[in-house]
Amino acid sequence: MIPFKFEYYKPDTLKEAFDLYDYIKGQGKTPLYYGGGSEIITMSRANNLHMDAVIDLKGIPECCRIEMLDNKLIIGSAVTLSQISESGLFPLLGQTAARIADHTVQCRLTIGGNICGTIIYKETLLPLMICESRAVIYGKNGKREVQINQIFDKKLRLMPGEILSEIITDSNYLSFPYVHVKKTKSDKIAYPLLTVAAIKKDNNIKIAFSGLENHPFRSREIESFINGENMSDDDKINRIIGFQQSKVLDDAEGSSCYRTFVLKNTLENTLKMLEKVK
Amino acid sequence: MTILGNDILRKEAWNKVDGTAKYNIDEDVKSILHAKMLTSTYAHAEILSVDVTEALKEEGVKSILTGKDCNLLFGDFIDDRPSLATDRVRYYGEPVALVVADCEQTAHRAVNMIRVDYRKLPAVNSVSDALKEGAPLIHENLMSYNLKSKYVYPQRNSNIFHVVKIRKGDMNAGWNKSKVVVEGSFRLPQADHAAMEVRNARAEILSDGTVIINTSTQAPFNIKENLSKYFKIDEGKIVVHTPLVGGAFGGKAAVYLEILAYLASRSVGGRPVKVSDSREEDICSAPCKMGLEAKIKLGADDSGIIKAAEMTFLIDGGAYSTISCRLAKAIAVDCSGPYNIDNLQCDCLGVYTNHTYSTSFRGFSHAEHAFCMERMMDKLALKLGLDPLEIRSRNAVSTGHSSPTQVKITRSNTGDLTACIEKLKTIIDWDEGNKIELGNGKVRTKGVGCFWKTSDSPTDAASGVLLTFNSDGSININCGVVEIGSGSKTVLAQIIAERLKMPLSKINVSMNVNTQTSPLHWKTVASMSTYMAGNAALRAADDLIMQLKTAGASIIKCSTEALDVADMRVYLKEDPAIYVHFRDIVHGIKDTNGNATQGHIFGRGSYIMSRLTELAQETGTGKAGSSWTLGAQAVEIEFDRTDYTYRFVRAAAVIDMGRTLNPKTAKGLIMGGMNMGLGLGSREEFLYGEDGVMKSTSFRTYKMMRYGENPEYIVDFVETPDLSAPFGARGMAEHGIIGIPGALGNAISLAVDTDIDMLPSTPEYIWNKVRSLK
Repeated sequence: MIPFKFEYYKPDTLKEAFDLYDYIKGQGKTPLYYGGGSEIITMSRANNLHMDAVIDLKGIPECCRIEMLDNKLIIGSAVTLSQISESGLFPLLGQTAARIADHTVQCRLTIGGNICGTIIYKETLLPLMICESRAVIYGKNGKREVQINQIFDKKLRLMPGEILSEIITDSNYLSFPYVHVKKTKSDKIAYPLLTVAAIKKDNNIKIAFSGLENHPFRSREIESFINGENMSDDDKINRIIGFQQSKVLDDAEGSSCYRTFVLKNTLENTLKMLEKVK
Repeated sequence: MTILGNDILRKEAWNKVDGTAKYNIDEDVKSILHAKMLTSTYAHAEILSVDVTEALKEEGVKSILTGKDCNLLFGDFIDDRPSLATDRVRYYGEPVALVVADCEQTAHRAVNMIRVDYRKLPAVNSVSDALKEGAPLIHENLMSYNLKSKYVYPQRNSNIFHVVKIRKGDMNAGWNKSKVVVEGSFRLPQADHAAMEVRNARAEILSDGTVIINTSTQAPFNIKENLSKYFKIDEGKIVVHTPLVGGAFGGKAAVYLEILAYLASRSVGGRPVKVSDSREEDICSAPCKMGLEAKIKLGADDSGIIKAAEMTFLIDGGAYSTISCRLAKAIAVDCSGPYNIDNLQCDCLGVYTNHTYSTSFRGFSHAEHAFCMERMMDKLALKLGLDPLEIRSRNAVSTGHSSPTQVKITRSNTGDLTACIEKLKTIIDWDEGNKIELGNGKVRTKGVGCFWKTSDSPTDAASGVLLTFNSDGSININCGVVEIGSGSKTVLAQIIAERLKMPLSKINVSMNVNTQTSPLHWKTVASMSTYMAGNAALRAADDLIMQLKTAGASIIKCSTEALDVADMRVYLKEDPAIYVHFRDIVHGIKDTNGNATQGHIFGRGSYIMSRLTELAQETGTGKAGSSWTLGAQAVEIEFDRTDYTYRFVRAAAVIDMGRTLNPKTAKGLIMGGMNMGLGLGSREEFLYGEDGVMKSTSFRTYKMMRYGENPEYIVDFVETPDLSAPFGARGMAEHGIIGIPGALGNAISLAVDTDIDMLPSTPEYIWNKVRSLK
């Protein structure tokens, strides 16, 4: 139960949503864009979040579509994780989405919410980072398209009121060999100790991580170690560990020491699996 | 007749399946007020001030209670707990204020507006810290508290609220006879009951002073007695209603929200008020499963026979003692496990910490004790090179032995552990070996754990059953057992049907308990419903039979001895064609001319535990329960040595049931217990920060077993009748949990060749333990 009162809006267009946000803000109130609502509801009832209005994006066609168009996969930000995995259009993203929370919750969680929310893991970003996906952002000057890897730096760098409306991925990326590994504290359905997503493009490995730091990331250094020539897997892994160790997260899900052990283990498996996939 | 021993659908099954069954939390009451708690944000702090001024201004707020509004202290053995914290908070989540408002939202908003000034105090974050010299005293006035029993022994200037001692045999002789000695230290965290229906209660005070409580509880009669005693209300003026309970597991045996609901209603002129835990409050504010630290030392001869044992158990009772005194007693009483130990010394201490306070939990401290003891049995087996089940068989308690509290062991009062072990060997394929390498770093291992448990009820625990007839001759059962999901009311119907030799469909059970009309039943705890209420039911049935025969004899014109009862008829034994139907006599006998004689027939039966005694303070001698239920369990896992993860393959239990009255329900209960045991063994724990603030206050961080993670469950029975029990049936509702954490610990220890002596056994803990020994 949410103890405070708030307004609810469900606009039909991105422009309406953006203007509404601006208008509410102008009245000195706090608006929030609303996708699946799972984070807003749980945080509000626990007194960790307060808003005066929510603007539901699920009435906006662009935000709700998932389709292939001109060799591009377009996923709206209000598309749910279960829609993504059930569509089968982006197997790596589908597999990643299917390991976030449980099925009931996956039917509520949206990809936009997973990327823009306060949760530190944002696992759906991993496939998008390594597949060079682009974000469509609606703002003051209408739509613009930006590389996810550019606009995401610890968080999605949006201007106030800007809306993540769609995510675009070139279709050739959807068929590269991939690996997804999620390691948790104990049960299958939990926050990650470590989630790794990797693809192999022309023998070049692209890899991204969640759970290692307090945000997901793809690292040029780590990829250069992994793709280094004339290096054994052990050498590669030791270099990655040496590079990453001091930054590893330490919390109730797992100590940094243990997470580092899991990283080492998972990298071994990931590299082995990537060798096998063609 | 084939009523006993068959799979009988629970009487309430279909209503539960289609959702028409109502739990206390489901009831919507018109114009009821809602109460919401403000809880402590510190584990240990002085309350400097509570400012409710702003909150009171919120529209819709009817009253706000703080500790000053009720200066009583509550407890089960020691009155040490305020309803709302007064000058001090002793755990994170402790209720500090209570807002009563016209809706839940308003109450919640007003709670957010209350300002509390605290002065933080150092928190006692473990039992070992609590016992350190100079540890902060959590209850400075411990020695001046009212003790409700003379068998409770708080220790001056300490955080120890109770001590139970066992002294049996001659320790020196025992150690002298021991060729090998093994030692172990154990630590287990507190955990949550996690019932689906969170704790909730409603209270209303009528203008004639009658107090009506509707609550989700295991102890409606106890609530009535407690409210009467503390608030000086005539017991007859308090009526407690309890419908079906949506899960309890011991967590609803404590009197908790009922007190707050009563105070809330009293503060608004008796209007009905509802108070309900949020899930977070149900985890951190309401009482939980105890934590435990233990040390055990076992000595045995060459053949593995235990000659001496020395044990210390420190119970993390949390901030308030409630039922923990009895939790300590329960460990002491059964501290040997289901094994014969002639020379035995055990100290069991109830200790205060700045944690959530502890209460009963499925297994009543036996699952925690058994983890330690069963790990010890495996350590001993390993040291002697003996098979883990063989060493358990050799030490199995049996006729001629005596229990830790020196109760004589008979076949009837304990059952047959060896038979359970033999059967377990078959169903878990013990002969194929308990450790099988699978390659790729994987290994499949099996761990075992045995248990026994007695009831540890008060010496005067009582139960009763009332039976009334409908005009068609069908029967209604009224008893004070709460249906908490164990199907015990259906078993009572089976018992009545069996005794009266009539169809089960003609026996109706009132699922609701009303303390004004239902006969007293101590509490629905300790797996004692079938034993106690079942014995009462048999007496009530016999009472009916006697009256039916008397009525029948007057019509058939014979002696009562010539008659018997079956199929809802009273018939002449020598010629069953001569009979009267129940419907013609149960509501009085009517002649053709209209004259009526006799009255309507109803049956009564009561039962009280007999020959139980309190324990002697220095030696522990005494009898804590009428009999034991014992069994043998195994857990099989597939362990991955590369990353220290594991999955459950199979879990098995063989329990000496005495007599299995409803096999499928029994199997379901035992599997449920096993599932909880795997949860405790593998993941469930309360995590506290260094400052004693709980970190695991929601199901995001408090991990539980999920459907699909469970192993294949195999449950089988041995039947050695308990001659004091209805049809020989032993209590078994809790028991599935008891041996499982130990069996899991043994399986993991075997997989990594390292002692796993802490719970939960998460991959990180196992990794750390193995690493630390390299």
